[in-house]
Amino acid sequence: MSAGDIIQTNDIESLYSGHHGWLQGWLRRKLGCDEQAADLAQDTFMRLFGRRALTLDQPRALLTHIAKGLVIDHWRRQEVERAYLEALANMPEPHAPSAETRYLILESLYRIEAMLRGMPDKTREVFLRAQMDGLTYAEIAEESGMALITVKRHMKAGFVACMAALA
Amino acid sequence: MSTVLPPLDRALLEEAADLLMRLQSGEHPQAAEQAIAQWRQRSDRHEYAWQCAERVIHSFRQVPREIGRTTLSRLPQSERRRVLQMLGIAAVAGPLGLALWREQPWAEWSADLQTATGEQRTYTLADGTRLVLNTASAVNVSFDGTQRHLHLLRGEIMVTTGDDSLRRPFRVSSADGSIRPIGTRYAVRLEHGATHVAVFEGAVEITTRHGRSLRLAAGEQLRFSADVLESTHALDANAGLWERGMLLAQDMRLADWVAEIGRYRRGVLRCSGSIAELRVAGAFPLTDTEAALDMLTKTRPVRVRRLSNYWVSLDTAT
Repeated sequence: MSAGDIIQTNDIESLYSGHHGWLQGWLRRKLGCDEQAADLAQDTFMRLFGRRALTLDQPRALLTHIAKGLVIDHWRRQEVERAYLEALANMPEPHAPSAETRYLILESLYRIEAMLRGMPDKTREVFLRAQMDGLTYAEIAEESGMALITVKRHMKAGFVACMAALA
Repeated sequence: MSTVLPPLDRALLEEAADLLMRLQSGEHPQAAEQAIAQWRQRSDRHEYAWQCAERVIHSFRQVPREIGRTTLSRLPQSERRRVLQMLGIAAVAGPLGLALWREQPWAEWSADLQTATGEQRTYTLADGTRLVLNTASAVNVSFDGTQRHLHLLRGEIMVTTGDDSLRRPFRVSSADGSIRPIGTRYAVRLEHGATHVAVFEGAVEITTRHGRSLRLAAGEQLRFSADVLESTHALDANAGLWERGMLLAQDMRLADWVAEIGRYRRGVLRCSGSIAELRVAGAFPLTDTEAALDMLTKTRPVRVRRLSNYWVSLDTAT
């Protein structure tokens, strides 16, 4: 790694002092919440510093680029949480998992949503029949009228998309 | 910082997927386990890829089937659409005729000022100009030594221009052209493929992107696109009431009412064709669209059907 590949400590300090306030203000406008803005501003800088080979000609453009990704994640998580709570509320039988179980389920749901995002509809459905509903590939083939090899093709594409989303 | 993760190429992920499927098939489980153990040892990248594979399986195992299915079924419509909306990317215009967002996606995202759906905000700019952003709107502000410039990316704004001590020219622009105020209060709104201007005080001068221009006086409104200036109409006296959070309807088509109220709500609000031509009258709160819907069902033969909070449709009351 050459010296140009990493940010020097004094760069970090000047970046932080020069742009942190501005970034937090920008995030506050997006989120309408001081506390969340402060958290995400912090995360943004952590990610920035974790990067290699940075060009720092336009630090604010890079900061907003990173921060946007974090804001989108933040909103997506809110959507998933909302859907989960609605699902819980709509279960036919009263369903009150412990706080810890809820946390684990929610974390998994965030990941699942991220993995399924962008998956073509057919692949997604085949994949969910297997992973969520527990059907065998043969059962999916029979149910859907697809050839077994087609089901397998969708499964493979599904797994690849999932791993790529997590990597 | 933590170690930088090795990049995973597609070939590697496909190999891992094959192994996952072999494991899942349940045939010869021991041989599958053995093959996986060997594969993982081939390099750090293989090991890392397999850790990802295990997280995939693990994530699905954590979630009870019913809960998972219900949660996911509640996501795609609103979630996908909302993410698109947040990114300002033009949603594919489906049968519902979802609004199309023009302009560059990221530009809108990083707009200087913006409001969420259902939100209104008032700003006082450096020169004393009063700027009100209506629901789901985004504006870039650039003031420098020689000019004052607002660029409307989405939604609607009401501008009451201030008296600038530096006498810098003031301009509002959209994708369709620009508007130069002459001591004035006016609203600019982006519609499908056009910009709508309404002047409440003073006058404005409109120049379309292709160079046509026209002066619009107080009490007048018009639509224009990059190359067409439509004809001028008298301003509806109630047009500016959104600034005070109110929609005043007089003999308004229900379909138009739904389109207007829908601007202030997240998700989809629609009405069935059979009641589209019903007439609506009354003052409805824009700040609380649930109350507005409630008022509507009390005064008109209309029923609210909720497929979810994000998908509401109006139908004939039976």
